[in-house]
Amino acid sequence: MLIPGWPSKMLPKKTSLAIATLGALLLALDIAKLARPFTLAEVLDFRPRDIPNVEPLAPIPPSTRPVTALKRPIIEPNLIDQHDDLRAFYLALWRTELGAPGAITRVLHYGDSPVTADSITADVRSLLQQHFGDAGHGFVLVAKPWAWYGHRGVEVSGKGWRIAVATQVRAKDGFHGLGGVSFEGDTGASSHVELAEDHAQMEVHFLRQPGGGVLTVEAGGQKLGEVETQGSEKQPGYQTFPLNAGAREINLSVQRGPVRLFGVSFERNTPGVIYNSLGLNGGQVQVVVRYFDKPQWTEELQHQHPDLVVINYGTNESIYADYIERYYPGELRQVIERVKAALPRASVLIMSPMDRGQRDSNSRITTVPSLPRLVEIQRQIASQMGCAFFNTFQAMGGEGTMAHWYDSTPRLVSADFTHPMPAGARKVGVLLDQALESGYRQFKAREQQSAARRESANRGSP
Amino acid sequence: MLLTTAAYFTFLAAVFFAFWLAMRYRWGALAVVVFANYFFYARWDLAYLAIIPAASSCDFWIGNALHRFAEPRVRRLLVTLSIVLNVGLIASVKYLPVLPWVLPLALSFYAFQSLTYTIDIYRRDAKPAESYLAYLASASFFPTTVAGPITRISTLLPQWSKREMLTPQDGGKALFLIGLGLVKKLLIADFLAENLVNRVFDLPKLYSGAEVLAGAYGYALQLYYDFSGYTDIAIGSALLLGITLPRNFNRPYAAQNISDFWRRWHISFSNWLRDYLYFSLPGLRSRWKIFAYLNLVITMVIGGLWHGAGWTFIVWGAWHGFGLAAHRGWRALHGNPKLTLTTGARVLCGLTTFHFVLIGWIFFRASSLATARDIFYQISSLTISFANITPTFVLVMVVAAAAHFVPQRWYDGALQLYCQFPYYAQAAAIAALAVAIRYIAGSGSAPFIYSRF
Repeated sequence: MLIPGWPSKMLPKKTSLAIATLGALLLALDIAKLARPFTLAEVLDFRPRDIPNVEPLAPIPPSTRPVTALKRPIIEPNLIDQHDDLRAFYLALWRTELGAPGAITRVLHYGDSPVTADSITADVRSLLQQHFGDAGHGFVLVAKPWAWYGHRGVEVSGKGWRIAVATQVRAKDGFHGLGGVSFEGDTGASSHVELAEDHAQMEVHFLRQPGGGVLTVEAGGQKLGEVETQGSEKQPGYQTFPLNAGAREINLSVQRGPVRLFGVSFERNTPGVIYNSLGLNGGQVQVVVRYFDKPQWTEELQHQHPDLVVINYGTNESIYADYIERYYPGELRQVIERVKAALPRASVLIMSPMDRGQRDSNSRITTVPSLPRLVEIQRQIASQMGCAFFNTFQAMGGEGTMAHWYDSTPRLVSADFTHPMPAGARKVGVLLDQALESGYRQFKAREQQSAARRESANRGSP
Repeated sequence: MLLTTAAYFTFLAAVFFAFWLAMRYRWGALAVVVFANYFFYARWDLAYLAIIPAASSCDFWIGNALHRFAEPRVRRLLVTLSIVLNVGLIASVKYLPVLPWVLPLALSFYAFQSLTYTIDIYRRDAKPAESYLAYLASASFFPTTVAGPITRISTLLPQWSKREMLTPQDGGKALFLIGLGLVKKLLIADFLAENLVNRVFDLPKLYSGAEVLAGAYGYALQLYYDFSGYTDIAIGSALLLGITLPRNFNRPYAAQNISDFWRRWHISFSNWLRDYLYFSLPGLRSRWKIFAYLNLVITMVIGGLWHGAGWTFIVWGAWHGFGLAAHRGWRALHGNPKLTLTTGARVLCGLTTFHFVLIGWIFFRASSLATARDIFYQISSLTISFANITPTFVLVMVVAAAAHFVPQRWYDGALQLYCQFPYYAQAAAIAALAVAIRYIAGSGSAPFIYSRF
């Protein structure tokens, strides 16, 4: 129907001209590359929904190591263990699996912020303990140096401590204990630890020092004893207390200050795995090199006598391309050297960081450009220095993974495209556990075959 | 097709020219709008091309039947059918997805808008549409599809019959609103979300108490600028076609009490809840005054559930319901003291109301009650660290908070000035804004928060 009296001029003149001019200006800007390139095809894009644009996967360059140097094929694609670097760990795991008394497999997992809330490590611990036995929670800090510090199955709170974290307010003497954090308290400072299950014993990690005070230890409402921290010189001290059945609430209080603590560890007397989560907020290899007192850290490592040390740094370094090229390889080597010097018999596993995303100028979530390079450096150095290597980055999907993780339901990574949500942490934990257990099964099969061959050779010989 | 993308604005420009060129024939203009509506839905998902026309046709038929039948039982049956149809549409898309994939638009706004049609005819507040095309154009009007404003169809229908050409004043206002909406959404809301808010609400324990509190304040501002930015673009888009949509926000964080807040925040939604839900609940006319209070809580809990089937939304709704009921009770006891308050008392009332709303927003945004608990726990830990708060974030927060309180006359003055610009200056201003957004925002555009409700 014709609208009666409709004006002969059909378009609203000024607004039409404004829109047409705007279109022409934006087209000119588009041609001049000042605006985001845009095509009319975008208007006619009838995809079911707006799918995030993800950069294609770029494979990690192959190893430069000659193939002839390989002892055996790599069956677990993301766990490179070409020279039986995990042998000590696998042997310990085997003893644990056989259930020999006191056969505890100990793991120290050093990492950065994704590990600081016991993310990833709690899931690996839980899976390994399900399969090989639960020998206890292991090491926990005596207060929360950062709000999100936690250890699954343990509640920790503390008050009155002056907290020195190796990455932030550092202890001047570099004594940061096993976990990279020092807690100094005067009379009245205290900590409360609640365990979900019974443990057989606890060990207090402290600093013996001139003028050191006294710490009172209570469990289940009963006083277990005192820790005398007075010593002729500064050196790590350890004191073990048995825990009765049902004693799950532990109180540590400074009776006379000053007292310096590094943490407490909990163990059972049954064969199993102890998987220590040693995440450090802002952790980097350079923190270990520059701010961990070498002799003190060496003594802490030796006291733990772990079968496996996981070095899982790289998230924080990944955004510094120049540092990665110039300094990172040297500092990573130094960390490995220190661990190997302290623990010549232990296996060392370099675990790469997870993917780390950022938004590019076109709003796409892409991998931080220098991260793949950092991972490749880690792989090469691990190979050169007799360490196994777990490529977390590749195992979780490689470049652009965080875009998928951010878009998935439930979301697997937080909005910083760096820190995993609980489901994402579990995914990584499962990937690491699967790789280690798969490697272990292959190791065991190889060893059994070799033993069978030796036995048959012995039977055949006169 | 988000309302902030180049694709949308190209589409809008095409619709604008086609609409006005076809306006000489009313059916032609309506056909352009209906085509645009369905094109817009199809860009989200082709499944809408089956769902929306079918649902709209049913409501159109029910509206005609309601007008034709006088028998109360039949009319009740018909309006119930419409309610079941529309609520079922929301439920099937949002809570019990029946399709093998998830539809990106929840259709809540479509369904609420459609219900105004049949319920108004049932109540004899409106007459059915004379033109099927006009009804289809109104029911699924594309600027209101994503997140409202929820517009009564009875207020849209007469606007299609207008004879006036778009005035330069209205055209200028439309472009101004679209530009303002882009600034609100891309420069403020998305910036706040990307630079602290999303992180804090994902893993609150990673941040200090001060940072979490800043994140909560940031979310209050993000939500306002996101939603009101969308609304500005929607109102501006409709105005380009000569259609006036209702106002949806009126400086909500300047509210003096919680009732005042709901008169200023998402106005079309709170009006809908009042007119179509609160007044429909039983007991309002009984002598038991408790029903007036109880119905407030029920209305807001249902309003919370409309946002999503989760305890966080129920708590958010109940929080506001109890707040509104408490304020109503207080007013019944003390009267309305608005005129007797001193400036200091008014500031105190404003701050109290804002923080009451802020507590609600924490539940609204948190992914679970456990996350909400972590947020409150972190804030109460009183830990002070600003490591994750950049000076730019603080600057944007301060500008966003200050802009919220800009006097209306400043806004009107800026609008008037823009409208007086010659056409090329109007175009140049928007182009400059587009380039500035391109370079300043950088991170692109996130979906509008309310598009998922």
